[in-house]
Amino acid sequence: MNLAAPAAGVLATRGTVRELGAHVTGICFDRAGTQAAFALGDGTVHLAEVTGPGDWPRIEAHDGAVLALSPDARDHGFVSAGDDGVLQRISAGCALSEIFSTGGKWIEQLASYAEPRAGLLACAVGKQVHLFDSQGIRLKVLAHPSTVTGLAFDAKGKRLAASHYNGASLWFTASKSDNPRLLEWKGSHIGVAIHPASDSVVTAMQENALHGWRLADGQHLRMTGYPAKTESLGFTRNGKWLASSGADAIVLWPFFGGGPLNKPPVELAPIEGVLCTRVACHPKDELVAAGYVDGTVVVAQIGAQRVVVIAEPGPAPISALAWSFDGARLAFGSEQGQAALVDLSAR
Amino acid sequence: MSDLIPVTVLTGFLGAGKTTLLNRILTEDHGRRYAVVINEFGELGVDNDLVVDADEEVFEMNNGCICCTVRGDLIRILGALMKRAKKFDGIIVETTGLANPAPVAQTFFVDESVRAKTRLDAIVTVVDAKNLPARLADSAEAAAQIAFADVIVLNKLDLVTEEEADAVEARILAINPLARIMRATRADVPVTEILHQNAFDLNRILQFDPDFLDQESHGHTEGVYSISIEAARPIVMQKFQEWMGTLLQEKGQDLLRTKGILNVSGESRRFAFQAVHMMADGDYIGPAPEGDTRASRLVFIGRDLNRPQLRRGFEACQVPA
Repeated sequence: MNLAAPAAGVLATRGTVRELGAHVTGICFDRAGTQAAFALGDGTVHLAEVTGPGDWPRIEAHDGAVLALSPDARDHGFVSAGDDGVLQRISAGCALSEIFSTGGKWIEQLASYAEPRAGLLACAVGKQVHLFDSQGIRLKVLAHPSTVTGLAFDAKGKRLAASHYNGASLWFTASKSDNPRLLEWKGSHIGVAIHPASDSVVTAMQENALHGWRLADGQHLRMTGYPAKTESLGFTRNGKWLASSGADAIVLWPFFGGGPLNKPPVELAPIEGVLCTRVACHPKDELVAAGYVDGTVVVAQIGAQRVVVIAEPGPAPISALAWSFDGARLAFGSEQGQAALVDLSAR
Repeated sequence: MSDLIPVTVLTGFLGAGKTTLLNRILTEDHGRRYAVVINEFGELGVDNDLVVDADEEVFEMNNGCICCTVRGDLIRILGALMKRAKKFDGIIVETTGLANPAPVAQTFFVDESVRAKTRLDAIVTVVDAKNLPARLADSAEAAAQIAFADVIVLNKLDLVTEEEADAVEARILAINPLARIMRATRADVPVTEILHQNAFDLNRILQFDPDFLDQESHGHTEGVYSISIEAARPIVMQKFQEWMGTLLQEKGQDLLRTKGILNVSGESRRFAFQAVHMMADGDYIGPAPEGDTRASRLVFIGRDLNRPQLRRGFEACQVPA
């Protein structure tokens, strides 16, 4: 992707901005690339057509806050969950259909994997992970030693990683035996990512650090030095870099040339004294978008270390950030409900 | 003081009246909105979207201190509650009857995201006036719950005589002379006198009758008791920090709560200090009130407290005579 967009005024010339009125808890695009969904702390989900400014229909999706949002395992539509304990599908036409209800226990984590024949949905309810097929039929319930704090499918939908106290569990989604590979490291792990080539699994930890396991030999990978907790992390598409929040810059760990063992991270788009709260790696190129606690949003080109400011400081911390699957659009939202959808495609 | 949401921790043994109190907080017409985080064994007779189920998941911080335990579930739940559109006047966290209150309190010292949006208001312990002596005899947690409390609801007074109530109160004060005791029957204490106490506010540290402390605690039978010491001459801050830092590091596991107010050498403002086990917090607060003796005071609540040693340590922090 070419970062040819002008450094100033991207939002004004190529963006659609809305005040949604509540904490933006999650953003994602559908797989077909036609819609973006914004989930809020007031229980609503707003759907934006990517092609035009238009209205963003407001859907009363949950009683309480929407705690998790994911693209559906199909081309169109979304899946959301909330503190009402309901997991439901939101169609492109704004129709709701319940997949599952816990009877009130919060659903805080969601992940989906799409493939024509075998899409998968996973949600965490306390210590259990419920795995569904793309039709919403429950395939199995996976038990963990403590509450699951993060979920991630690998790039092929073969494995599912779940973070929890003292490490992470790595499940084979199609396995009949249902014994996970336990990746152990003492402490509270609060989020998880899988390398796109499934080389390693990385978790964020309560102690302002990341912990990784190289899957081939179980080698521990410690990544430390953050001033704050990492609440957002992800690999670039080619697996060379792991981007993370939790410092006053985007922190990128090299996963090549022997890294991240004994290799320092690269820091991009530093804003002194301003914490990065969200990162999102571009689905194709070596680009990473980042949101900051002061409302700034940037896109940084990793190799060239070029940075384009998408949004100037705003009223509230950036709380959600996502790329469309084709990488042409970026959406973000803040703790006070400012939301934007930006077209970054070459023109 | 700030727009941080106050969090009240509610502890107490099963059957002491915690659930009765919670039901009153949720149903009474006090014009305020409270979220209640209950443990998995709780059985509130209220169907309410403000009630959240928690699993009381404690973990040890990776800092080499085994007393440094934290409630990870609470970090998550408070974070999610803060995302809700309708805000709360407060959050109440109930712990199971047998739980040690330390991990809940320590969560507020450890986690920046929790500190950014909420503050620990007070630890409230509900005790059963009739059964407390038996609980103190058969469980170490009972003494710990009293030791940690800022407010103690001495409940079920209808089941004891006036003399028995006085005796129970004396035992509570022997463990924790800093707690405010509220007598109750069927947990009928005014909700507003339990919530919004600012007990962890440094400005409120040791705001109680100083004469009261002179009644030295001798009720060592529960293993948990309190010691208060005074220093007449001003304190040298660096010496105090070194001494207290080492003390909490070495003895933190036995020191359940520590509170202090210091007259610091060369400083007109007083320094307020508090700790839960080894986690400490301190800052300068306003000047001493008119007529104050300006003595520095420390109160320790814990086990195996060596009074002469603590006194010598504190006195050595004074400016030379």
